[in-house]
Amino acid sequence: MKTIEYFSDPVLRSIFLPAVICGLGVATLAALLAPLIVLRRLAFIGQGVSHAAFGGVGLAAVLGLAGGGLSLLGYGVAGVFCIGAALAIGALEERRGGGLDTAIGVVLVASMALGSVLLHASAGRPGPAPPAWESVLFGSVAGVGWADAAAAWAGGIVLALLLWWFRRPLWFWAFDEDAAEAFGVSTGRLRALSLVMIAAAVVIAMKLVGVVLATALLVLPGAIGLRLSSRLGIVMAWSVVVAVLGVLIGMVVSFEFDAPPGAAVVLTLTAGYLVVRIVTPSGARG
Amino acid sequence: MSASGVSVPSPAIRCSGVSYRYPSAHPKPGGDDAVRGIDLTVARGARLGVLGPNGGGKTTLMKLLLGLLTPQSGVVEVLGGSPREARRRGRIGYVPQRSNASLAFPLSSRRVIEQGAKHALAPWKRTTPDITERVDRAIELTAVQEFADKPIGALSGGMFQRVLIARAMAPGPDVLLLDEPTVGVDAQGQARFAELMATLHRATGVTVVLVSHDLRAIAAGCDAVAVLSRELHIHEAPGGMTPDLLAEVFHHDLALTHGSQPHACGHDHGDRAGRATGSEGAP
Repeated sequence: MKTIEYFSDPVLRSIFLPAVICGLGVATLAALLAPLIVLRRLAFIGQGVSHAAFGGVGLAAVLGLAGGGLSLLGYGVAGVFCIGAALAIGALEERRGGGLDTAIGVVLVASMALGSVLLHASAGRPGPAPPAWESVLFGSVAGVGWADAAAAWAGGIVLALLLWWFRRPLWFWAFDEDAAEAFGVSTGRLRALSLVMIAAAVVIAMKLVGVVLATALLVLPGAIGLRLSSRLGIVMAWSVVVAVLGVLIGMVVSFEFDAPPGAAVVLTLTAGYLVVRIVTPSGARG
Repeated sequence: MSASGVSVPSPAIRCSGVSYRYPSAHPKPGGDDAVRGIDLTVARGARLGVLGPNGGGKTTLMKLLLGLLTPQSGVVEVLGGSPREARRRGRIGYVPQRSNASLAFPLSSRRVIEQGAKHALAPWKRTTPDITERVDRAIELTAVQEFADKPIGALSGGMFQRVLIARAMAPGPDVLLLDEPTVGVDAQGQARFAELMATLHRATGVTVVLVSHDLRAIAAGCDAVAVLSRELHIHEAPGGMTPDLLAEVFHHDLALTHGSQPHACGHDHGDRAGRATGSEGAP
């Protein structure tokens, strides 16, 4: 097996191990958010925000912060761009009186187009080349180092703390926005917090799984967890277990078949979702 | 309430000349107030039903009473102060329309009820004996015990409505606002709703304001009926819902009866319901 070969060779291990550790961090991070995203129906917003990251990477590239891979500052630029896009979606929705799908559509295509133009423009810059657009869209193991793994785990811990700190008002808002507002919960702030958390998760996940596939990691574990339990705590636990298994199995598939890791992880989780859908008929949750 | 002819120094709710107009990019020259010139006084412990068609301003009135909207003119007071302050102190309980909450959530009835009492609790605190007591009391009052630990996805419309009422009662409010409480509730659930409203009122003396386009919800236990079609017209019913009152209400604004056939209500307020039934021809 190529996987065993990769991890028994010290040189190859030093390349692949950070990717696996990063993958586990990304899985945990995304899985903690996934039930909220599924239940609050934020999946399409997540899609818009993750595609916006492509524009953010383009901007970082044109500023010279992505030569040979995104620098820390480059991540910061992409992160700010993503958060800006997320908040723009929220503001557009409010102004248009509920035209959320249009707002997301506009931000999504504009960010993709901007990213494409900026990446193209940055290609002529002297110095190391910016990341290839394929790896930005679909992820890559090659460029993932220990710094990325540390960022994924640090992000995961911060996100877990935020979700714990705001758990009561956050789930009240997610469950029943009108009532939460009437009870004095700051629903606008919680919505903004959710969008910022999604944007941060996308930026952290994008190097490994790519911006297009990051949303899948933010949705599928939650959707699977919700089929397996009707208690929120257990749903979140399932979400994390499923995401970790999905990433591990997906990466083995990626190593064995030389497939892009993001795609392999997403296809593994999709297969898991289909299996769970078949074996747990709707309404049979316990 | 002024409707009941009783004058009290500190009413539960007082509105004086309240008008609200939603911001619009294309204001109509004739004015497009959502509600206009509302004068309303609800005494502590009274029960007011607000009947009106869709678009008549019922939800706007709710939002004004909750302090979620600020009127362009007039004053709204709840428990002698601003509605926002009363809401912040947990003095207003609110039951939204059922359609706003998703039954797909992995929550038990008890967890939903706890939302009402625990949402502002410091994150590092698990709970307090006071909160546990209030949640248990709300569960008992609304007779939710038998399905308190069941997932909400397994509940009927009527059961879920009781859970939402229990959540509103969990902070121990002085004023209970209900928005279209009988939407999505079957006939049996509506009968239980009438019983529940009577029990709650008897046990806690809470002031109730209920808005609905459905006369059955109003008949479920209100001392007065107000008809709201942008402007508010109050009809007294100190002795409960009577055929005379219904005739007065519907005579006042016949247009409001579209889609709202008077109907028997049942249980506890059987006396009133019986008389309401007797007025089927009133509109």
